Amino acid sequence: MNTTMRNAGMLIAAAAAVALFSIPSPTPWNPYEISMGERLLPPGTEHWLGTDHLGRDLLARIIAGARPTIGIGLAVLLVSIAIGVPLGLLSGMKGGRTDSIFKPIIDGFMTFPDYLSAIILSALLGPGLMSMLIAVIAVKWVRYARLARSVALAEKEKDYAAMALLSGLSPVRLVLKHILPHAMGHVAALAAADLGKIILLMASLSYLGLGSQPPAPEWGSMLSEGRAYFHAAPHLMLAPGLAVMAAVLLAGFAGNRLRDRYDVKLKGGAE
Amino acid sequence: MFAISKLSIRSGSQELVRSLSLELQDGEWLGLAGESGSGKSLTAAAIGGLLPRPLSCSGSILWNGLELLGLDAKSRRRLLGSEISYVFQDYRNTFTPFLTIGSQLTELLEAHLSLAARDRRQRCLEELEQAGLPAERVFGSYPYQLSGGQLQRAAIAAALLLRPKLLIADEPTTALDSLSSRKVLGLLDAAKSRFGISIIWITHDLRHARRHADRIAVMRTGSIVETGSARQVLEHPAHPYSRRLIASVPPLRREMPERLAASAGLEGEDPLDHPR
Repeated sequence: MNTTMRNAGMLIAAAAAVALFSIPSPTPWNPYEISMGERLLPPGTEHWLGTDHLGRDLLARIIAGARPTIGIGLAVLLVSIAIGVPLGLLSGMKGGRTDSIFKPIIDGFMTFPDYLSAIILSALLGPGLMSMLIAVIAVKWVRYARLARSVALAEKEKDYAAMALLSGLSPVRLVLKHILPHAMGHVAALAAADLGKIILLMASLSYLGLGSQPPAPEWGSMLSEGRAYFHAAPHLMLAPGLAVMAAVLLAGFAGNRLRDRYDVKLKGGAE
Repeated sequence: MFAISKLSIRSGSQELVRSLSLELQDGEWLGLAGESGSGKSLTAAAIGGLLPRPLSCSGSILWNGLELLGLDAKSRRRLLGSEISYVFQDYRNTFTPFLTIGSQLTELLEAHLSLAARDRRQRCLEELEQAGLPAERVFGSYPYQLSGGQLQRAAIAAALLLRPKLLIADEPTTALDSLSSRKVLGLLDAAKSRFGISIIWITHDLRHARRHADRIAVMRTGSIVETGSARQVLEHPAHPYSRRLIASVPPLRREMPERLAASAGLEGEDPLDHPR
């Protein structure tokens, strides 16, 4: 993928984010307002994307749903990184007993597919936004822990790490200045793919009725609501489905851009 | 001064370094020679307290009356870099890849001295200059932007930055072409005469030993089999292993065609540098 495309992706993502998060209500319609006379209207001049089974404006709901969907996805991602990376670095750098505690935990979590563990966890915790968040973070942090651990394991053996210690730098400084940035490049690359996956995972949980609860506009639960009317009014599923897809794609573009910024070799263009 | 006595390094029941004793005078250049696996680098790691986890060591390493084995982490950190410093073989990995050389040099100064930012920079530039490098450019460069020889010279600048009294150079020239090796060894020579630094030069290549080392210790399977002045060990090796080691240095003949010498990376090599 060329730089122009990635830059364009970044720009669109940034513009969309600013628009979605700064403007209180970009459409004249209230996403919660039920209007039984206008149920299941197809896309038209008045309701650009049509209305849902309760006559609510779909565009307004999509836009209102962007905040919980993307915002919470981003928050979940950041919390997962904030938990996983320090633990992974600690485990990898310390090695020995510390590592023998963390390694089986990490491996254990990695054995189950994301979806399965997330569904089981949020089902155990009961449906609702909070339990979905906990479930997704619980599933996701291990990936960052594993990544940071493997980076720490690899990098601490390298000469520059030994050199830093042999020059009298403290281990904490070695980790923060010489190893963490190394891990962050990889973390950015993983996070790039992950933001999309998290959005998708949360939408799936909401679709299954485990996450966000009606009447809150959330893309996953909107998909779920639209399913019953799929034959009569396909736009009910199409709109939130496309919104999820666009968010996932843009997150991917933005992530790639971020990864490139972190990679010194790509930036310098030498060698 | 510096003295190792009865140093043993074990991995489980296996003894990798056996009761090694060694002394080093102020301003002395000691060549520690021996084949790979003879325990040279382990000894160097033990001095810095950086033995890999399953290895344990016993004995004593005295530095100006201070016992280095079992030294607490804080005192060790104060000592390393400022009094004892290291240069490694693999110049490509000596510096953290995503930080500029300058930031890594200044970090060293930060860790040991309290200097104003401008003085730190100035000090680093002087040291790079001293190492024969285009100081400003190297200061702002990432490691991958420099050649191998430049990197190794920058590594030496880093090692000498705090005017240490002992430099442990673990095969600093092994990965370099012979011209760069010369420059690197020349820098060490200059440091020795400029501020009387002692050098432990770990090597398996005795080609340059006669010119640079004062004394040579030959190591084999974890113990020193012979020590003596460089001339004595190179010309009249007493131990059969020393004789084999010296004989194994690849001979360079005057009649070697120039093209061949160049393709073998031996251009500019002085055949007389090779001990007979």
